[in-house]
Amino acid sequence: MMLRVARWVALLSTMPLLASVAPPSAWVPARWNGTSPQSLDLLSGTPINCLLVNSYSPEFVTRAAARGIVTLAVLKPGADPADPARKAIRAGLQGVVLEGDFPSGTGARVRDMLADAHAVVVELTSRARMPLGGPDPIVGTYQGVWPGIQVLDNGAAKAAPSGSPWIDTNTGFIRSVRAWGPASVWLGYLPPAHSVVTGERYQAAIADAEMAGARWIVALDDDFSARLERSDAAAIKNWRGMAQVLQFFESHPEWRALRPYGKLAVVEDHDDALLSGGILDMIAAKHTPVRAIPGQRLTPDALAGATMAVDVDAASLTPEQREMLKNFARAGGTVLTAPPGWKGQSALQPDQITLDKAELDRLNDIWHDVQSMTGRKNLGARLFNVSSMLSNVLATADGKQVVVELVNYSAYPIENVAVQVLGTFKHAQLITPEGIQKDLEVYATDEGGTGVDIERVSACATVRLD
Amino acid sequence: MTRREWIALISAAPLLKAAPGPEGTPPTAPVAIARCASYDEDITARLATMFDQLGGLDRIVRGKTVTIKLNMTGSPALRVDGRPPGVTHYVHPKLVGATAHLMGRAGARRIRFVESAWATSGPLEEYLLDSGWNVRQLLAAAPGVEFENTNALGKGKKYARFQVPGGGYLFPAYDLNHAYEDTDVFVSMAKLKNHGTCGVTLSMKNCFGMLPASIYGDDAGVDQPNENPTAGRAKTMHAGRRQPSKSAPAELDPASSREPGYRVPHIVADLVKSRPVDLEIVDGIESIAGGEGPWIKGIRRVQPGVLLAGLNPVSTDAVAAAVMGYDPRAARGTAPFRTCENTLLLAERHGVGSADLRRIDVRGVPIAGAMYRYDA
Repeated sequence: MMLRVARWVALLSTMPLLASVAPPSAWVPARWNGTSPQSLDLLSGTPINCLLVNSYSPEFVTRAAARGIVTLAVLKPGADPADPARKAIRAGLQGVVLEGDFPSGTGARVRDMLADAHAVVVELTSRARMPLGGPDPIVGTYQGVWPGIQVLDNGAAKAAPSGSPWIDTNTGFIRSVRAWGPASVWLGYLPPAHSVVTGERYQAAIADAEMAGARWIVALDDDFSARLERSDAAAIKNWRGMAQVLQFFESHPEWRALRPYGKLAVVEDHDDALLSGGILDMIAAKHTPVRAIPGQRLTPDALAGATMAVDVDAASLTPEQREMLKNFARAGGTVLTAPPGWKGQSALQPDQITLDKAELDRLNDIWHDVQSMTGRKNLGARLFNVSSMLSNVLATADGKQVVVELVNYSAYPIENVAVQVLGTFKHAQLITPEGIQKDLEVYATDEGGTGVDIERVSACATVRLD
Repeated sequence: MTRREWIALISAAPLLKAAPGPEGTPPTAPVAIARCASYDEDITARLATMFDQLGGLDRIVRGKTVTIKLNMTGSPALRVDGRPPGVTHYVHPKLVGATAHLMGRAGARRIRFVESAWATSGPLEEYLLDSGWNVRQLLAAAPGVEFENTNALGKGKKYARFQVPGGGYLFPAYDLNHAYEDTDVFVSMAKLKNHGTCGVTLSMKNCFGMLPASIYGDDAGVDQPNENPTAGRAKTMHAGRRQPSKSAPAELDPASSREPGYRVPHIVADLVKSRPVDLEIVDGIESIAGGEGPWIKGIRRVQPGVLLAGLNPVSTDAVAAAVMGYDPRAARGTAPFRTCENTLLLAERHGVGSADLRRIDVRGVPIAGAMYRYDA
């Protein structure tokens, strides 16, 4: 990690034209198809400071740098990326993005090749090939589900096991990846093809990633891009709405540093953690705060404060780690272990990021047990009237501040949301992308926690309790 | 006299509150109609006027325990176009709050809101919160407000058995949560909407929701109630594919029709015969047409802008059906009872009340002035 940081410091010193550049951890990325310098004007008032480009002109790169915007050339598999990477750096771009599954070792080779230029290399790989726990300041994937309430062919919302509409989300995956280390996580999936993507859904895509501490690489569908280019009023309005949501999260970098607040831990191995729609997302759909623990990172510290643990794949743990879970149980914790042989009955395909029906059916076995174990208990927070939302509950290390992030995936604002958090808090504040910062009345809940009522949640909102 | 004995008395005798009809005809009672375009209007004032038109709320609730059965059908997570359920298929919380306020002002000693919350026996307060209701505001609306989820035993120690006087259509008696017995006044607060199985959901069909899933649900215990139900009642009560828990009275004729359009209206008529409804309030300010909830294909949002209240459930529902543009005496095969029996006529046959519009005293806005055709 130190080597990569040193490269970044060196990069800054070699770029006199680049105005006040943020470190990679603060890069807010977007795919950018416009090559005219004027297209950069759209970024005014947005926190986007990093553009992923397929083509570029010297003037565009210079003007971007003058605005403090990092430009990265996107390179795809199919040809050796060495030459186009060198060309991009010579043209003044600050780095390259290797998007796709290049032959093993390509990333390292390109990094070494560009080392003298202090260029940044970001790899957007398949989820399965992400270098988790490594030194890269940014890890990313081109794979993801398009966030939103899943609608069936008959127009009805698909129901989750909880009876709520099922929400496609990347948050479970992001939680798992972030449990591996501090690298920034980028998601490079594209809007769904042949679909009308509304402004609300773009906002949900941004918030889905940001709520869990990652960043979606903003990418617009062709129609939206074209309308934006010709300054269509509706497109401009949607773009501003997206910028507002981005700004909301980027104005609170402290939220990324918070830790999961809750009593439930899910211990998963690498393969499970890389899926969407798995056990973490099912628990999240119930708004039960949950912390992801990679099996390889299972330590007593990782379990500190938890009272329940779900061991999804006991076979993947070492004898020492199994002993840790036994000790956790001996100390009063509850451990739910998946049935022997529960996993591995059907191998995941390399490009698979969601579960198929047979796997979901198998998951239901353990899901029913998880539901029985968690029941109506408050395992950190309970939320009400949030069936079209997902949430993330975080806290400072000392637990004196708790943050509840809410993302609404429906096209309508939700009124009268109730949040009941474990612990006693004296102050609560509602913070929204629309600029609302409002003190909320706090009240004691029946179970000795703290309750607040939120009048309305549009795209997203955060409650901070102190 | 115990409450149970009292209920048996008023069930067997002609209704005390409703005017008895001529010899052999069922009783009737006045029904009040008011226009109310939106939930932002002064609902409290509208309701107060309607209660006055019915003879005043004081005489009904003063010093009494009042139990109000809310219509909150289906999971609160299921929404119509993402809208709050109060503007689609649930009664609206503002109407509920206004009712509580007026009852408190009229001297009610205790106001207990009840519903058999879908697929759970958890506290009703949590179900209300999940529906987007402000429980603390409701609690503050009047002294003595409380809540009970009647989907299981709840706060009671045993189930209350309600015999169907004269014998029921499908069951001789029903075991219900204690709240339906431990009350002086029983109110059905319903929504003005269609129903996929029964044609219309009004104050009587709302009472189908009294049945605890612990006994009548699809995962009810075979012998004893399942106090943690997680399913609805479709298999057991709609389709008759299994029997309720043996702790409750068994079906009179297990060989009778299993068709939901036959069974549910008969059960509803049994229920309102065995647990008389003293006051009906029907929320037709905003609603849905074409079915009772988002799970019914083809439903649409409607804004009839109307409220109804009455003192006899059959008469109230007859007027409500007429406001929806239907003939409340329509035969099976005719709208809105295209595939089902007419619950109103079944209840009338039980002697609960009259569905004959010619005999019903409509106060406030006349039916013609309030009509909103649901089949339009």
